[in-house]
Amino acid sequence: MTFAVTVGGRSVECGEDQALLDACLRAGVWMPNSCNQGTCGTCKLHVVAGEVDHGSSPVETLSDEERCAGMALACQARPRGDVELRPQGTSAARTANPLRDMVATVREVSDIARDTRRILLGLNEPLTFDAGQYVELVVPGSGERRQYSLANTADEDKVLELHVKLVPGGVATHGWLFDGLAEGDRVDISGPLGDFHLPPESEDDGGPMVLIGGGTGLAPLVGIVRTALRRHPEREVVLYHGVRGEEELYDGDRLTELTEQYPNVRFVPVLSHEPADGYREGFPTDAFVEDVPSARGWTGWLCGPPAMVEAGVKAFKRRRMAPRNIHREKFTPADA
Amino acid sequence: MTTTERPDLSWLDEVTMADLERNPYATYERLRAEAPLAYVPVLGSYVASTEEVCREIATSPDFEAVITPAGGRTFGHPAVIGVNGDVHADLRTMIEPALQPAEVDRWIDDLVRPIARRYLEQFESDGQAELVAQFCEPVSVRSLGDLLGLQDVESDKLREWFAKLNRSFTNAEMTADGEFANPEGFVEGDEAKAEIRSIVDPLIDKWIEHPDDSAISHWLHDGMPPGQTRDREYIYPTIYVYLLGAMQEPGHGMASTLVGLFSRPEQLEEVVDDPTLVPRAIAEGVRWTSPIWSATARISTKPVTVAGVDLPEGTPVMMSYGSANHDTGRYEAPTTYDLHRPPLPHLAFGAGNHACAGIYFANHTMRIALEELFEAIPNLERDTREGVEFWGWGFRGPTSLHVTWEV
Ligand SMILES: Cc1cc2nc3c(=O)[nH]c(=O)nc-3n(C[C@H](O)[C@H](O)[C@H](O)COP(=O)(O)OP(=O)(O)OC[C@H]3O[C@@H](n4cnc5c(N)ncnc54)[C@H](O)[C@@H]3O)c2cc1C
Ligand code: HEM
Ligand code: FES
Repeated sequence: MTFAVTVGGRSVECGEDQALLDACLRAGVWMPNSCNQGTCGTCKLHVVAGEVDHGSSPVETLSDEERCAGMALACQARPRGDVELRPQGTSAARTANPLRDMVATVREVSDIARDTRRILLGLNEPLTFDAGQYVELVVPGSGERRQYSLANTADEDKVLELHVKLVPGGVATHGWLFDGLAEGDRVDISGPLGDFHLPPESEDDGGPMVLIGGGTGLAPLVGIVRTALRRHPEREVVLYHGVRGEEELYDGDRLTELTEQYPNVRFVPVLSHEPADGYREGFPTDAFVEDVPSARGWTGWLCGPPAMVEAGVKAFKRRRMAPRNIHREKFTPADA
Repeated sequence: MTTTERPDLSWLDEVTMADLERNPYATYERLRAEAPLAYVPVLGSYVASTEEVCREIATSPDFEAVITPAGGRTFGHPAVIGVNGDVHADLRTMIEPALQPAEVDRWIDDLVRPIARRYLEQFESDGQAELVAQFCEPVSVRSLGDLLGLQDVESDKLREWFAKLNRSFTNAEMTADGEFANPEGFVEGDEAKAEIRSIVDPLIDKWIEHPDDSAISHWLHDGMPPGQTRDREYIYPTIYVYLLGAMQEPGHGMASTLVGLFSRPEQLEEVVDDPTLVPRAIAEGVRWTSPIWSATARISTKPVTVAGVDLPEGTPVMMSYGSANHDTGRYEAPTTYDLHRPPLPHLAFGAGNHACAGIYFANHTMRIALEELFEAIPNLERDTREGVEFWGWGFRGPTSLHVTWEV
């Protein structure tokens, strides 16, 4: 007889007379443990669902109150059925914005830069999301799904704004969004998804931020930066938009306007391959390293091609930003 | 070779204490292969070197704890690591309340995090540091020192004490007649103890009259009839256990974890990026280089046969947990630090009823310290102009760890 033990999204088989810890470790799922004899408490965790037999767990290590509160020693407890566990110290998942399937209507398709389109999708019902999250579009006919980030702030909840870059030969972009998509088309979408968003307002201390978007990686940053500034108009913000050449830049006016509206905002477009007068040259992550001597206490936001995001993490750490303050959204291709 | 034939272990006659302290692994690797339970002349004792034999003896009803000769000479009696029955039960009951997980959870963050930050602030803008002396050891001793009630004893003094007690405790070489080969090696331990007493005796006087929430004050009073306290001579040996192992080992554990991670830059990066991996990194760190490498022992309470060796009643066996954690029967490529190796339980904290009492406290102290280090200096690199040397047979860790970073 075996039961399913689920922890952190992974599920392992556990015999009825097997310790939860043993089952997890054998399946390669690590959890803290030290003594394996019930005496140190290192393996203590929360039983979120299902029941366990505490076996010979000593009361010195696992008190009656803790048992009542749903705690167990993984090295001693045996499953009585399927169980779900949560390691100690990890907080209960924050109530997320509910994921919904919707049918949207294309309101506008506009070419805003070389191989780049803005697509506006109208909804019948407002969508609850946090700025920076993304939605999934179902590519008609293929059943394929592709992710696109929202450029909206949370109150812009009836018309979704997407920025899409053409990928030559791409199923969604080449075959649909840049070919044939028209105003009035109906599109199946699901969302919101992802954890690339600001903390709740009550936990946002208004500290300095740097945001780096590569290409259409700018999209979620447009929503995030406006939200962040509305919360704390005085906060220091540096926003980099990295593209290959001037022709790929877009939304410059919109972003320059922010620098006029708020006192401590800088907007820095950077061209990597096609230099042009009046623009910084190189990679935006290098520009950051040149511009910011220390990013201690800052939060960082990186969105775009995976390689750029990786380079950004390195650049931020080099400037001493705490890794837990580095937020990342990689535009990973569907087949990667 | 038949099963009754003993392998030829004459090579062991050549093994010196200095060899073991510089690097015990080669000797123990051979022991694990040839004789997992063997008499080692330089130590004047049987030694258990594999995972299986260590675990068997540490949890066997036919063995109980005994302190090693050099350990007993250093700590005196009754030290918690060397007593059994009621005295052991009383000493564990005395020390455990402060180390219970639920208790530790209440204050560990507030205790260790500010200490880690304070030491980091002293050097985080320098762009270089020697982490053993500037971070690992100070955070380790300050956290436990404050818990014990030794707030007024400087961290450097606590570091000096554990180093002297360590060298005395591991002054293990025996002559063929069963005498200490280097009796002068105990002198610095004796000096340290004299100094400890000159500082702790007045504190004990104070705590007897005015109990407070410090651990040693609780040791004196808890479970005693009103108006009575435990005799200080009864608790001093266990105070020395703390002032050596408990003070020193979290520092060793942190430093070894860091050296291990530096040997795998991609794994260091993973851990820096995701602090939830720190506990796993530490678990592998103390497996890879076990801080208490070979410092505790057990003694048979009746004639027994272990690993094919007949032991008469009263035979001491040293537990070599550092060797057990490199057992190829259990770990693939055990000499490599690997955050992602299949996560089997290790023996770095011992086993049985004398297993480490401070596991939870130690693990969390190390975790918080490394979290703070990586948070403050996410761009940490090993200073490759300096080497890293490990030292120790009884207790083992890097002697120094030079790092640099861009400021
Ligand atoms: C969380 C998330 C959010 C995203 N948000 C956005 C967004 O806001 N705007 C946006 O434009 N895209 C975004 N993307 C990328 C998007 O989901 C698609 O992957 C992209 O549009 C390509 O889809 P496709 O069907 O046209 O190409 P596919 O048919 O998937 O790919 C065709 C070929 O091109 C390769 N390829 C795909 N993308 C690239 C690329 N960027 N560079 C080089 N080769 C590539 C593929 O590997 C494949 O071989 C996001 C991705 C993720 C994971
Ligand atoms: C990383 C740090 C540490 C390691 C690796 C470690 C490891 C060990 C080991 C291997 C033993 C011997 C177990 C045996 O013989 O089976 C031991 C014993 C002990 N440890 Fe630890 N230890 C650490 C930190 C601490 C701390 C911080 C404390 C106290 C606060 C502590 C308290 C004790 C005590 C009291 C014993 C004796 C237990 C007994 O004999 O009953 N240890 N430790
Ligand atoms: S690992 Fe020590 S109580 Fe479970």
